[in-house]
Amino acid sequence: MTQIDIHKGAEAESPYVPKMARILSAEQMTETERFFRIEMEEAPLAYQPGQFVGVTVFGVGEAPISICSSPTQGDAFELTVRSVGLVTNKLKEFGEGDRLGIRGPFGNTFPYEEMKGKDVLFVAGGLGLAPTRSLIRYVLDNRGDYHKVTILVGARDPSLLLFRDELEAWTGRDDVETLVTVDRPDKAWSGNVGVITRLFAKIQLDAAATYAVIVGPPVMFKFTVLEALAEGVPENRIICSLERHMKCGVGKCGHCQIRGVYVCREGPVFTYEQVKRLREGI
Amino acid sequence: MADKPTLAFFSLACCEGCQLQVLAANEKLLPILERADIVRFREASDGDADHYNVTFLEGSIVTEHDIERAKAIRAKTDVLVALGACATIGGVNVIKNFQESDDVAEYVYGDKKDWFPHIPTRPLKAEVQVDVEIHGCPINTCEFLEVAKCLLMGKPYRQPNYPVCVPCKLAGNVCLWHKGVPCLGVVTRAGCEPFLCPSAGHKCIGCRGLVDNPNTEAAADVMAEFGLTVEEVFREFSLFQGIYDDVAKMK
Amino acid sequence: MLPQVLKRNDLAAWVEALMADRTVAGPVLKETNVSDPSDEKFEWTVLEDAGDLRLDYNLTVLGPKSFLWPPRQQLVAYRLDDGPDPQPLIEHEPTVLLGVHPCDATAIATLDTAFGKDIPDPHYLARRADTAIVGLDCAAPCHESSFCLDMGSLYPDSGFDVMLTPMGEVIFVEAATDLGRALVKSAAVRPATKDDMEARQKFAEEKRSNFHYKLPYELKYLPEVLEQSYDSLVWEAIARRCFSCGSCNTTCPTCYCWDVTDDIADDLSGGVRTRRYDSCQLDTFAEVAGGENFREERSSRLRHRMFRKGKYILEQTGRVGCVGCGRCERACVAKISIKDTYVQIAGTR
Repeated sequence: MTQIDIHKGAEAESPYVPKMARILSAEQMTETERFFRIEMEEAPLAYQPGQFVGVTVFGVGEAPISICSSPTQGDAFELTVRSVGLVTNKLKEFGEGDRLGIRGPFGNTFPYEEMKGKDVLFVAGGLGLAPTRSLIRYVLDNRGDYHKVTILVGARDPSLLLFRDELEAWTGRDDVETLVTVDRPDKAWSGNVGVITRLFAKIQLDAAATYAVIVGPPVMFKFTVLEALAEGVPENRIICSLERHMKCGVGKCGHCQIRGVYVCREGPVFTYEQVKRLREGI
Repeated sequence: MADKPTLAFFSLACCEGCQLQVLAANEKLLPILERADIVRFREASDGDADHYNVTFLEGSIVTEHDIERAKAIRAKTDVLVALGACATIGGVNVIKNFQESDDVAEYVYGDKKDWFPHIPTRPLKAEVQVDVEIHGCPINTCEFLEVAKCLLMGKPYRQPNYPVCVPCKLAGNVCLWHKGVPCLGVVTRAGCEPFLCPSAGHKCIGCRGLVDNPNTEAAADVMAEFGLTVEEVFREFSLFQGIYDDVAKMK
Repeated sequence: MLPQVLKRNDLAAWVEALMADRTVAGPVLKETNVSDPSDEKFEWTVLEDAGDLRLDYNLTVLGPKSFLWPPRQQLVAYRLDDGPDPQPLIEHEPTVLLGVHPCDATAIATLDTAFGKDIPDPHYLARRADTAIVGLDCAAPCHESSFCLDMGSLYPDSGFDVMLTPMGEVIFVEAATDLGRALVKSAAVRPATKDDMEARQKFAEEKRSNFHYKLPYELKYLPEVLEQSYDSLVWEAIARRCFSCGSCNTTCPTCYCWDVTDDIADDLSGGVRTRRYDSCQLDTFAEVAGGENFREERSSRLRHRMFRKGKYILEQTGRVGCVGCGRCERACVAKISIKDTYVQIAGTR
């Protein structure tokens, strides 16, 4: 049974008070996704790839957002916010110099230490590229620690592709293989067309030595996992990040719970082996 | 500096009690009045304008003329707020939809009934786009202030999507069902706190309409087990919730 | 401290003494059935008159939990002018909860763990640290829906500072902690005599004969019984009657899920982030901003609650989530019973 020190806990700092942060730059990436580079006003955010923060717009509320940058990029951190709710819609009006409240970082991290020396396959669909990018940037900034790196990115159509400049830069590198596909091309699109699993035919996998990091909408995740399993990637090396509505971030409020697991504490990063056992994961 | 936003209040078929509920906010209206101009509010003042940033429209639509008025008001309005049960769900006026149209007209207007052509009662959203709903008969002044604050701050108002049981239990009330009173709180949208009818010993009569995904079938079953006939169950629901298909098909 | 007894006539004086320097909350009469005066309903409230305390109370709608974990609690205040300057709102005052039944004392210990583990929640814990629990033992079940004996909450060994056992004209008073011993100092207690000890023994025997097991298996098997029922059709069958009204959760003494909103002051000068009891049975509980709902079906939400009470909270805190008080069954207009469900699923595999 867990032993609790009530009197010590009573003196603890409230985990619910946001700390002030300032937007260094903001950019509308697509019609619905807005990118922010943010700096904490006091101590820098000490985070690791895969974690998320609670973003407060004072007077409106708070929303959980994945960090899309890597701590290797400096003290500031980056968020890609899709405008779908009360808070995220309000964030559309926010730009350079505006102040926000930040709580966190919360959650576990991608197993970037354990992955060292191995092949890494990133498969990111839609907004899934945001949390994935935190690890991609980390791996690219520590390129020597990892073996072969492959990045597969998919979006419904070209206008929804995130981080297009970076996708181009990664495509141009010879130490990384990057493939991008869209479901519905426009006239200007000359790249791959079709769902993201189609890209698997174009790459070479050493399945036994590979960690597959798969983040995207549930349907994309389902079929990409099947593809990875068929290639022979072990279940405990298929890594994903689950989306839930984390309201408190500290394993209390219950909204993110999948069965007995609080995604905000024990996740959002899980192996497929864990997700499969949860059954309600995807 | 831009002019203050303009607010207007209008009524269709209703008792205008919801406008009185707005006035009942008393001094709590002052911060709103500092930030907005009320240009039309016949329960409180004279005057009008050509265009309204926000219109609070109460009452249901019961005549062709009401449809025209609603459309004309909509055309002059940026944000249309349906104010009160008549506007959001047709209110008690929907009862007439379950009676013979001619009988109703004769009962009210006698031999002058032909002078007053009428159509089945419908809520505003049946004819015009409604941007915000404030439910209740009458509305809850606290919710009106909440909506007004949201509008002034430029954020959407999210109406509660859970039943009256939630605030009722939080208020510590003994369930009316346990006192032999079938209460519609189990399927009715909350938002009336702190003025819950069950807190005053009265059953919920459903004036805020149904929650988005009500289990009306279970409600009807449970009421039947409780000893109510199908007609009685329908009568409970149709006082305010007759506009919903789930309820209409009980008849 | 040796066992003490307090004469029932001296109880009010002790309560008054406690009220002099602390907030004292206890069970009082809330209302009486008009057609049946013997049908009394009780509620937990702050005592204004020591004489209002009713040690013969039965199951309340909300338990003493609401004094430690209020239905609505303000967490953070901020300004909406130039600098938000968010500040925590942590309020507490010396409080005694007087007359806490064993089930509720057990539930409080579960809440202590839930709010205290990993990242502590000072908004709860500050109140808890400032609160003394005076338990009140039960001689008989207080409601037909209760199954506290099965859920292991009828004989708590912790979670209270003092335990009272009412035995006719005297009340047996046992202090379990230093805080409890301090509280008892202001009571006109005397050491228990041989007769008192015999009366205490008689109470224990009576208690044992009044409570009966209702589950066909031991508590330790509940998580496994639940796990084997995961795919059972039973969840859909029960959920057909469920209104998803959340009354099972809002009245539960161990439920600690909450929703949070930012409430704006009427003059728009500032805001307060407030939490409110939430319910995993409500339609949108597991919905994410994009609209995807991870427990869209009533049956999946109902199963989640039954699992949470019998398994998940146990996994999280080491303490089973249901204390068997029976409030959820009593609160349910559709008469969905956690006890009957736990019986029903024993046969599924």
